[in-house]
Amino acid sequence: MGAWGTLVLAAESGPHLPSVEDFLPPEILFEGTPFAINRIILVRLIATAVLLAVMVVTAYRAKVVPGRWQSAVEWVLEFIRDNIVYQIMGELRGRRYVPMITTLFLTIFVFNLCGVIPGMNIAATATITMPLVFAIWTFCQYWIAGIREKGLGPFLKEELFPAGVPWPIYIILTPIQLLELVLIRPLSLTIRLFANMIAGHLLLATCLAFTQFYIVESADKILALPGCLWLVGGLIFTLFEMFVAALQAYVFAILSTAYINQSYPENE
Amino acid sequence: MKPLAEGGIDLFLPETYDIVWSLVILVVIAAVFYKVVLPRFQKVFDERSARIEGGIAKAEQARKEADEAKRKYEERLSTARVEASKIRDDARAEASHIIADARSRAETDAAQITANAQRSIESQQQQALVSLKGEVGTLATALAGKILGAKLEDGAVQASMIDQMIADMDGDGDGK
Repeated sequence: MGAWGTLVLAAESGPHLPSVEDFLPPEILFEGTPFAINRIILVRLIATAVLLAVMVVTAYRAKVVPGRWQSAVEWVLEFIRDNIVYQIMGELRGRRYVPMITTLFLTIFVFNLCGVIPGMNIAATATITMPLVFAIWTFCQYWIAGIREKGLGPFLKEELFPAGVPWPIYIILTPIQLLELVLIRPLSLTIRLFANMIAGHLLLATCLAFTQFYIVESADKILALPGCLWLVGGLIFTLFEMFVAALQAYVFAILSTAYINQSYPENE
Repeated sequence: MKPLAEGGIDLFLPETYDIVWSLVILVVIAAVFYKVVLPRFQKVFDERSARIEGGIAKAEQARKEADEAKRKYEERLSTARVEASKIRDDARAEASHIIADARSRAETDAAQITANAQRSIESQQQQALVSLKGEVGTLATALAGKILGAKLEDGAVQASMIDQMIADMDGDGDGK
């Protein structure tokens, strides 16, 4: 009812600008249950199906002498492995985390790309939960790595009371470090990704809403000129969003790797 | 229309169903990636590097074989060269042998021919001598008879006279 009202209102009084409701769409299936599905979750499910189908088919058809598509996929996988994981952690330590970082990178990338795919028009990472779940995975991994490699006590001691600092500083430093370890790391990962997707959608949808309003809905033909400018803006931001989709996936993957790596002792 | 600021806090409050679906999706994707996709790609990567290493090893093997073949070929070539020169030497030796043989045979033949010729010459000479002896005897007798005017009737005297004459002739021949 609310959505319909907004639509009618928009058609009468101005461009249909994007709003918070774009990110809180109504439930359309299994309403009221824990398995309720709204538009974003539907987008997410479709993106998941496509991602898995493509990757599984590519994996099953992978040959020793790769075709063009397989080479492209392999290039991405090798980029994640060599330029993200191994470069930060080294091969010995990093091997364990290659599948995790690969999963994170590809999932985030594909989910982000949904924001510029016609018909979906919203990133599958554009609710707080999805980035949060990714971040919690990273959070668990760096805690587990720290406890496994150093033991809980030494791990906390090293993190909360960094060596080489005069003790009065600990009064300020330790709470900050604790906050960093428990809240700031996962929340910064979450909010960086989430906010980027929100902003991207708002920019893009605003450009296209004005384009629609000026060129199609407006009676005054003179307004088609700014409408064209808005369309150009929409094109530019679409390209920009593709770039951001890859960039945010890269940033998330590289920060996760760095956080996990910090849980390991300096020298082995 | 709801302004963007109003209800913005809702964006940061996860819905239960959202949590459920996010988890389900992540677990499914991670499971498929961990169990299927990445191991398969890893297998292909391993197989590829194995193939490349195998290819390098095979090339190395081929190079070794080629070297071996070349070495054998050269060995055989040098053996053949030695053999050829040996055959040539043998042939040369045989040829000189044959030539020497032929020469010696020719020399023998020549000597034989020479000897035969000598012998026939000697026998002819002997014959000539004998017939000459007879004729000269007769002629000399006739001549002497004519010169002396006497006819030597007695055969014995005649013979001794001739012998005497020949001996004189021989002695003249030897003295010269």
